[in-house]
Amino acid sequence: MAEVFAAGSIEEVVAFLAGHRGVSLPIAGGTDVMVDKRNGRVHPEWLVDLTSLEALAGIEFREGGKVVRIGSMTRIRSLELDPVLGRRAAALVEAARLLGSVQIRTMATVGGNLCHGTPSAEMPPPLLVHDADCEVAGPSGRRVMPLVDLFAGPGRTVLEPDELLVALELRLPDSGVGSCYLRQTVRWSMDLAGVGVAAAVEVDGSTVTKARVALGAVAPVPLLVAEAANALVGTELDAGAAAEAGRRAAAACSPITDARGTESYRRQVVAVLVERAARIAWLRATGSWPAGVPAPANGVLPSEVR
Amino acid sequence: MRIEIVVNGDRYVKEVMADLSLLDFLREVLGLTGTKWGCLTGDCGACTVLVDGEPVVSCLQLLRQVEGRDVTTIEGVEHSGELDEVQAAFVANGGAQCGFCTPGMIMSTEALLRANRSPSESQIREALSGNLCRCTGYSKIIDAVLQAAAERA
Repeated sequence: MAEVFAAGSIEEVVAFLAGHRGVSLPIAGGTDVMVDKRNGRVHPEWLVDLTSLEALAGIEFREGGKVVRIGSMTRIRSLELDPVLGRRAAALVEAARLLGSVQIRTMATVGGNLCHGTPSAEMPPPLLVHDADCEVAGPSGRRVMPLVDLFAGPGRTVLEPDELLVALELRLPDSGVGSCYLRQTVRWSMDLAGVGVAAAVEVDGSTVTKARVALGAVAPVPLLVAEAANALVGTELDAGAAAEAGRRAAAACSPITDARGTESYRRQVVAVLVERAARIAWLRATGSWPAGVPAPANGVLPSEVR
Repeated sequence: MRIEIVVNGDRYVKEVMADLSLLDFLREVLGLTGTKWGCLTGDCGACTVLVDGEPVVSCLQLLRQVEGRDVTTIEGVEHSGELDEVQAAFVANGGAQCGFCTPGMIMSTEALLRANRSPSESQIREALSGNLCRCTGYSKIIDAVLQAAAERA
């Protein structure tokens, strides 16, 4: 049995974690911690309950909407239902609506999804393509680092046992930007990604000026693949550029064979989903996609089905 | 640990283990066994209850985190001994067979209909995607939700 420490402030959490290194575990929504605890994967003497810390929750637009700060305790369901994020960070909202079930999304938090370190987690790829920084609180104060540096391996982050993820900050250009998250699963819902892919592009007219491509579930940590993104920059995202980005992403990842797919199948799926996600991101960036409408999870558009 | 919580409109003050789940509290402490003990990993939805009107899987809900909030279980759905529209529609449409998933299905439906008075079939499927049923094949459950929505509208 674990005791529960209900913290009143971020500083109190950090102090408690520092005084109980190795025997305390922060609990956010609980959808991973409660399962891990029941299965004996973790044995905390103390659960540090973060739910009463209002400073950690919320979606706040700053600098005239050019920056959004997302508290680590923000529920996945809140991301899913945010209309502004739906228009301006479509990949993030697409990933949110695919995560778990309504019940899980009502409970689970963005910080928990990141800090659990699951390679197939839904939140990292879209946050990576939206160039997220994360703010971390520790005994010596706050530090900010690129999100890509958070992940250390399956189930592991670089955070010290007495550090706490406080918030994420994303830059949201006013216009000419589009993003998309797609995933492959065995089942349509209540499943973990076999492959998760996010792409974001910024365009000037119809030419791509910046791009990012991120992958989940196909390496020990979520990947940001610069080579794949570079294949898109300077193009009008024609079929050849999208396919080249897909090939480069497939070459850059290192999937394993497990119940969700073989290594070679996952690599092929990466290539296909990167191609489709890049194309949808470009359609959004150029205003050719209806605002707020999510893409089908596998990126197959109705016209291609027929 | 002492906990104060409102379940189905009744206030309870109980002495409990600090890391108890909401599910264990409902079943073992309050004796409200309508909420089912299913997979215990958040996959099956048989333990779904509402917290402040939002659906959660009570097996993964740390009780301490819902202190002072308003919990509704399947036992709190009826109106003075009469089935509510959702329960009645599940009965009328054969939306329950073995019945194990039914409390969770009904709680997810209650949450859906609070947020969306006339959901489409695809919105219903999406809202119930965290509730597994091994008997009905889901079609009759969808029929039941559509009927309940129509009766409430």
